[in-house]
Parts: sequence; C-alpha cells; structure tokens
Amino acid sequence: MAESRRELGATSTDYDAVIVGASLAGCAAAILLGRAGARVALVEKQPDPGSFKRICSHFIQASAVPTIERLGLLEPMLEAGAVRSRIRAWTRWGVIEAPPERAGYAINLRREVLDPLVRGAAAETPGVEVMLGRAATGLLRSGEDFGGVRVRERDGTETELRARLVVGADGRDSQLAKLAGVKEKILPHNRIAYGGYFEGPMPEGAPDGTIWFGDPQWAAAFPTDREQVFYVAMPTKDRLPEFKRDPERAVVDFVSDFPDPPPIRASRLVGDLLGKIEMPNRVRAVTAPGLGLIGDAALATDPLFGIGCGWAFQSGEWLADAVTPALGGAEPLAAGLRRYRRRHARKLNGHAFFIHDYATGRRHNPAERFLFAAAARDEKVATPFDHYATRQIGPARMFATTLPRAVVVNARHALRRGSSAPSRAAAPSSAAAR
Amino acid sequence: MSAGLAPTRLAAGGTQTRLIQAGPEGAAEAVVFLHGNPGSADDWARLVGAVGAAGKRAVAFDLPDFGETAAAADFEHSAPGYATFVGEALAALGIERVHLVLHDFGGPIGLVWAAMNPDALASVTLIDTGVLPGYKWHSLARIWRTPVLGEVFQATATRGAFRFLLNRKEPQGLPRPFVEEMYDHYDKRTRRAVLKLYRATDDPGAAGEQFAALMAPRDIPALVIWGEHDAYLPASYAAKQRQAFPSAEVHVLPVSGHWPFADAPDTVERLLVEFLTV
Repeated sequence: MAESRRELGATSTDYDAVIVGASLAGCAAAILLGRAGARVALVEKQPDPGSFKRICSHFIQASAVPTIERLGLLEPMLEAGAVRSRIRAWTRWGVIEAPPERAGYAINLRREVLDPLVRGAAAETPGVEVMLGRAATGLLRSGEDFGGVRVRERDGTETELRARLVVGADGRDSQLAKLAGVKEKILPHNRIAYGGYFEGPMPEGAPDGTIWFGDPQWAAAFPTDREQVFYVAMPTKDRLPEFKRDPERAVVDFVSDFPDPPPIRASRLVGDLLGKIEMPNRVRAVTAPGLGLIGDAALATDPLFGIGCGWAFQSGEWLADAVTPALGGAEPLAAGLRRYRRRHARKLNGHAFFIHDYATGRRHNPAERFLFAAAARDEKVATPFDHYATRQIGPARMFATTLPRAVVVNARHALRRGSSAPSRAAAPSSAAAR
Repeated sequence: MSAGLAPTRLAAGGTQTRLIQAGPEGAAEAVVFLHGNPGSADDWARLVGAVGAAGKRAVAFDLPDFGETAAAADFEHSAPGYATFVGEALAALGIERVHLVLHDFGGPIGLVWAAMNPDALASVTLIDTGVLPGYKWHSLARIWRTPVLGEVFQATATRGAFRFLLNRKEPQGLPRPFVEEMYDHYDKRTRRAVLKLYRATDDPGAAGEQFAALMAPRDIPALVIWGEHDAYLPASYAAKQRQAFPSAEVHVLPVSGHWPFADAPDTVERLLVEFLTV
C-alpha cells in the first residue's frame, strides 16, 4: 500500500518525524526529538531563514521559561536583549501585581530576533534537517496511520517525506490539520488587535509589562529589547471603524484614554502598525493516528492573554517527551500520542475554557470583579492570581488558593468602608448650611 | 469646587445666575460650559480653571432653576427657552465668539443656541451628549415625563436613593463629594424644572438630522468625549456626532460612565485643553 502511494518522479526519504512549520513550537519539538536521537525533517514554507511572525506580542509567559531553559535558549535570548518582566494588571480597584520575589517572570524578545535564533538552534541540533521554502501539499498514509507528508519545492517538484510521526506546527490556520481532517471547534472572538513597536519614554513599572482591564476594553504595554515598547489595543469589534479610519491615531488615542495611561503619546511608532481583525479561537483534536499537532495548530486561542508563544514551546516539549519512547521502539506510537493528548488537555483545557469565555468581549462577571478587587487590594491574593495569569497554575488551583482569602479581604474592605461612612456623610455640611 | 474660582452673580434673562469665570476677563472669544441635569456650574469648576490657566476665557453658569439659580417667573423650561437664556447670558458677558462645552441636557440647549447663532460658534466639545438620531428617552426620563409618576418619583428621591440610583449605573461609582453636591442642588425648584424640561422635550432625536445638515457644511472643529458605559445616552452616539461635525475628534473613554469629567477628570482635562489650545 505504501509503495503504491509513491508517485513517478517523486523521491522519498525516511525520517522518524517530519515536522511541518519551523516556528517556535516546531523548532522546540525538533530540538528535543533530535537530542533524543531521532531523525527529524523540519519543513518550513518560508524560504528566508530570517523570517519571523509579524503579528505577535512576543510575550512568553513564565510557564514556558523552564522549557526555554531546557532548550538551551534562555542564555542566548538574554544575550540578544530579551527582557524579563512581570505583569501588572490595571483594574478599577487598583493595579494587581505580585511581589517581585513571588511573581512569575515572562521573557520578551521581538520575534524578528527570536525566530531566527530558535530556528538556528534547531538547525544546529544533530539529527535535525531544516528544509526551508517547502510547503506541505499532502499527507501520506502508512496503513491506517499518517506516515509522512508530500512537500512542494520552490521549483514546483514534489517530494515525499516519509516518517513514523507527522507533526503539525503550522499555526492557527494549520494546513496539515486541514489535510488530516482533524476535528476542529471554532469559538467566537469579538475583538480586534492593533499594535506596534514604539520608541520613547518607558511606561511606569518597566521592564514589567502592564495590561489595562477596561471591562471590556483592553490595552497593553510590553517593554522589550532595544528599549522599545510594544503597545497593543484590543478593543471590542464595534470599535473597528475608528481603527480603520486612522489606525495609528486610533491606537494612540485608545491606549492614552485609559486611566493612568503609559506615555504612548510621547512615543514614536517604529516600523509598521500591525492589525488583525479576525482571530476566532480554534480548538483542534491534538492527535490523529501518526499525527500530533502542537502550538497554535493544536490550540489557537485569544492572543489577549499572551499565551501563544509560551504554549508553543511547551506543547512542542510535551509532544517530544511523549513520543520519544515510541520512536525508540519501546512502545507503540499511539501510546505516546495518547500521553501527549492527555497532557495537553490537563495543562491547557482549564485555561482555554476561561480564555474562550472572556474572548467574546463581554463585561466582567461578578466572580471576576470579586477576584480582581481582592487581588488589587492584597498581595497574597495577587500572588496566585499572578501564577495563574502567567499560566504556571491552572484555574482550579487559582480559585482554591485565592477565593478564601479574597472573601476575607473584600469583607474587611467593605467593613472599613462602612465604618468610615458616617464621617463621609457628615462631610457635606458646608453645602447643607447654604 | 476648585480653589480660586469664587462664583459671582450675573444678571441675565430676568435672574441673577451664578457664574464661574477664569482666564482673560472681558475677552470676546470664550469657552462656554453648559451643564446637564442634574448639574450646575460647579460641574465645571476644575475645567474652567484649567482652560483659564491655559490662557482662554472660560465661563460656566447655572442654568435657571439649577444649582443655586432661580428662574424668572415667566421662564420657559424647554430647550429653546434655555437656549434663549444662554444667548442673553453671553450678551451680558460680552462674548461674541463661542467654544461650547456641553454635557447631557446642556447638549440640546447648546446645539439649539448654535443653530440660532452658527456664525458665533468657534468649536464644540460634546461630553456624553450631541445629536441623537433615533434616540428614545432613557428609563428615568420616561418616569419624569409621566404625569403623577414623575411627581411621585421626585418627591421620594431622598439623598440615599439619589446616591444609589446614580452610582448603580456608573462603572466606577462617582466621587462622593460630587454626588453630594449634585443632591444638594437637586432641590424642589430643580425637581419641578426637570419635570417641565423633560415633558417639553417629546423627541430628543427629532431635530438631529436637520441640525446635522445645517452644521456639517461648516465643518466646525469638534471634540467628542463619551463614557463607554454611559447608561443614559449610549456611547454608540459618539461617532455619530460626525454627521454634524465631520472632522470631530472622538474619544470613547473605556472606564467612564455618564460623567467622564467626574470619573476621569485627568483625561477629560488633557483632551479639552489640548483641543482648545492647538
């Protein structure tokens, strides 16, 4: 059967794994599989080794830092100017920030620098063969399982890359997922995103990033390398006409109309302003026989929370770890893929549920208001809140650790306000005297 | 009220209205602030001071039967009646060229005045107000407009109820002193005036299109500031002000309600002073 699929004129090569997409997730998986002794074909449609993802806040959550360290990328990223930052969240109750010694520290490096660096590390890994300028056009079968991909070279000729494992790391619009016909759920996203790099004075708290929860409007300032700040506006879709009229002005106005705004008005846009209007949440079945999806190809969720890059690295790591025994012949591949699927679900489903719920652009619900208020008032609530926002703990643990204390903090606040009320009521005596 | 702006009295329209002024006295070009309901000249104290400090003449006064100003006996409580009063007050102040700053019901009043005096209009700043095509009265206005129900509502609006009603619909709540002062001014006279004014205004959106057709060709500089969470006049009207003022600069403040100058005073001051001094 496999023989019959080989077409005339097409050459064939054998690998342990063929990974489609040499961005963060694909490279992470390639590096770890290569290190484990696998023969990996890393296929990338962009011919330029310096290519990079343009529309990205490049905020890599603290949850992914151990993975980056394991990949040997932490030092090179810092040398390239990466910034380690906490998240400060502006809410109407105050700024939520965990104490510096307890907070999760993200890592921030512009994709223009990050992508070539990660791809270089993959290319240098023994066993990894990077193939640039090749697009996946078809999936090969090996019995019931997927068993490789057909790729088109730049000159139009097609090659078959046979492998025991096919990995889709080709982003939110994954061609491979489409070819494989994996189940996909699309959940609404009711925001647009406009952002860009600005030069100018640093925002308060730099190098920490600040996000503004305007309920429902949302903006952020992420200091990054080269003393630039990535400012991003993520309004609800009804604000689109204003952004189409004059995007740069709309971003500057939108960000500076928040309370306690960052100094975007005193800053200058560097390069192009980036905008994205449609970004529905895509949730896919992360495995099929012989196939694993990682990064955005597996779960492309609301970019508002800056989780895409981190989860790309992490899911690449989870897949590589899960299938390594199978590729070494210790167990069937299906067992490894099942382990990956379970880990992906266990780690991300809880987060994704709440992210998708918030992505509709709705107003905050009473539970969110309760938690935000408590976290802004008390650093012991802010700390687990920070660990959740930086995706180091899941929602269940976050709620379990924050809720009891949040009840106390908010009750105390209400009592304090209640006891001070009489004096306030007495205050307008000057007016009463009129 | 901010320090240094002692109110004085101005004789206009058969009454002595309370006036707050700053900046070069006697200038023929001035920034004129018209408050809404409930409201008074005090709403504008901070902004009058800021505009005055930026070198422009700034004036705010109580509209008759609001704040601490009683209306003349024969005063007509309607948008045209109030617009006529505004004309008389501006004449008494010697103001010939006007930068209007309007809030809430100050909008219809100011825009009626503008329609009668388009050549005197130098610019417009609309704060949670403006032309309202298709607008249907908010629930509170519908209560005020209903005979007996309106009277009962006004008679039972205690300080606590007033504070509760106002803050309930505000995203951040309003500063306590601001609400207290508003209630202090919400006396019997004002309550009666509110009923008359709202009952005289059947369709707040009616004249919008004619007004836009009259104003749009003039392309008067305009600044629109709207609280995204305004519960009375929806923020979706903010961009629609370009129907009348095509070059309007539009800012929908993400965390504000119906009174942005009270819940986002820094932002409103920055936007207004910048707009008026460019």
